[in-house]
Amino acid sequence: VAKLCVCDLLVAQCDVNCCCDPDCSAADFSLFTTCSVPIVTGDSRLCSQKAAIYSLDVEANPPERIFKLIDQVNPSVFCIHSTNYKQAVSLSSPEMPTSENFDQLLQQFGSTSFSAEPDSWNMDTDAQNPSDANETYRYEYGVPIQTVDAFLRLPSPVVSSWCSDVNPAGFLVNQATKCIRSVSVEKCGNIQAVSMLFYINSSILAVNITVQSIVVQSLNGMRTLLNGSDDLRLPMILDELCINIVLGVSYHITYTDEGEIIEAAASFVLGAINKEALSIQQSFEISFTQVNTKPVPLSGNPGYVVGLPIRAGFRPQGYPFPVKILFVPLSTNEYGQLTILQSTSNQDCLAAQEARTPILFGYNMISGCKLRITAAMKCQPLTQTILDLLKGQSFPEYVASFGNSQAQDVLDWVPITHLHTSEQSDNERIYKTFQSSCQIPISLEIEVKWTKYGSLVNPQARIVNVTAMITTTTLKQLPSGRERTIPITSSVVFTDISSPAEPGYKAWPTINAKLPFDFFFPFV
Amino acid sequence: NNSYQLSSVPLQLLFYVNGIYYIFYFLATLAMIVYKSQVFSYPDDFLGPDLALLFIMAILEVLRLYLGSKGNLTEEEAPLGLSLVITVGSAILSVYFLVWQTYVLKADVIINVVLLFTYGLESVLKVVAIAAFVS
Repeated sequence: VAKLCVCDLLVAQCDVNCCCDPDCSAADFSLFTTCSVPIVTGDSRLCSQKAAIYSLDVEANPPERIFKLIDQVNPSVFCIHSTNYKQAVSLSSPEMPTSENFDQLLQQFGSTSFSAEPDSWNMDTDAQNPSDANETYRYEYGVPIQTVDAFLRLPSPVVSSWCSDVNPAGFLVNQATKCIRSVSVEKCGNIQAVSMLFYINSSILAVNITVQSIVVQSLNGMRTLLNGSDDLRLPMILDELCINIVLGVSYHITYTDEGEIIEAAASFVLGAINKEALSIQQSFEISFTQVNTKPVPLSGNPGYVVGLPIRAGFRPQGYPFPVKILFVPLSTNEYGQLTILQSTSNQDCLAAQEARTPILFGYNMISGCKLRITAAMKCQPLTQTILDLLKGQSFPEYVASFGNSQAQDVLDWVPITHLHTSEQSDNERIYKTFQSSCQIPISLEIEVKWTKYGSLVNPQARIVNVTAMITTTTLKQLPSGRERTIPITSSVVFTDISSPAEPGYKAWPTINAKLPFDFFFPFV
Repeated sequence: NNSYQLSSVPLQLLFYVNGIYYIFYFLATLAMIVYKSQVFSYPDDFLGPDLALLFIMAILEVLRLYLGSKGNLTEEEAPLGLSLVITVGSAILSVYFLVWQTYVLKADVIINVVLLFTYGLESVLKVVAIAAFVS
């Protein structure tokens, strides 16, 4: 008891007003005002126990500490005289694990909860064991990817721009970081973080990291892709330059539906430094692809992000029932995006047939061109040409309602509704139908209706409806030799149709007090 | 006619007092075990033996007092001798409750010491009575 001191928090230093601190000298004690811990005793339920009493004698000059060790007696008749049960009055120190008792200790304390009586918990530990045995390495979003010795590291800047190697890469977290590392030509071979071996050495459990490609960057910044890049290129000194130092690593991890990593590849950018270089900038990237799918860049997760392209696709023919419908994401352009005619500088429609730009979510766009019509042009091919111009080569049928909609989820895709209107008023139309006239489309207006979806604090954008409206007009027959220029326009409009969110409130608690039925018995 | 009566009156008195005291002792010990199991950490491994021994001691006590009383009143040394043997057993149990119990409170110490003192006095008187009956 004399050696216990609760207020002794600083090691090898004197704690203020702590009279039991062994690090304090008599001079320190003279500066104290009171004792924060006046008495230290054992268990007070014992009939007699030792107590250490600390007090300050302020009368003396200088004040000094008084320390007394006495026996404190518990006057109650129910005080513990003695006990044969060790754990009753003292905390037991845990067993040191050795190779003999390790298994027994693991069984007793290895599960998520344990009690002082290990026999009653045997059932629970048995129930947990089978699931642990069957579980393969299954990752969840954000969990650090484990390697043989530690975690897969993606160096990134921490606090300052200097690289820190202890940032683990999280599963399914696509990251791209850039940081600065200090190098010098003299220590060329010694700095581990600039050699390829450092990044390939640790193997993700059961999967080796393979080298996918190597790009060599020369001193003036020109990059060349190496053929046959299976060999490991380590930093070495050549002509007063240090070559083969890693300037960038890009990891590509392939995973399955169940969350297992089956493949890992790394692409490197190697460069060279000269004597004057004191630091280099390294860039690191990691991306995850599901096995047997082509990586499609997401436009949001899950709601669309303003400025990212809208994803669209087709439903392949011959799949009438949505058992397993695969939308072909390679539709209007190679990334599966909805595109719109792009205006060019000369504004000539026929010259700019190939120029299309993807529609970005949230950005209303309008574009157009001028079409020169001569008398020699026939109606039907002209109509077809303008339609191709407006809609593009392969106009998709479905648009993804979320930014991360997968091709397998049928319900996540919204069909595009097509409408046709004519430019004239009703009277003219009735009059004109009696004449054989040529209707040519002159504008395509795509209206995308979207709504806010999800929680009030983090609403996600979701596309609900897409309408493509083609407006046609009558083309009057031109006298031969004349020509006419008509403007063709296409536009995209985004409309927010989300209903206003109403927060819900809990009902006020009511006091439900009723008297018993026969409370006023004699009188009622 | 005291000379024809060999039965020991102090012994009989002591049996009577012992009986009353033992009832008090039994109830007090039982109550204290219940109190200890609530206030302290008293696992089942330790509570079981303590309660079992208390009940065994009660049975032995009843037997002992009956045999001793009968032996004294009928002036037979056999039941009195048997009672003496059982007294030894009861004394050992009392020592258990004094020293080897899981939690020995100060009250436990007091009542057990009194019980042991009573047993000691009884044993002496029984030996004297047996000697008187035999001769």
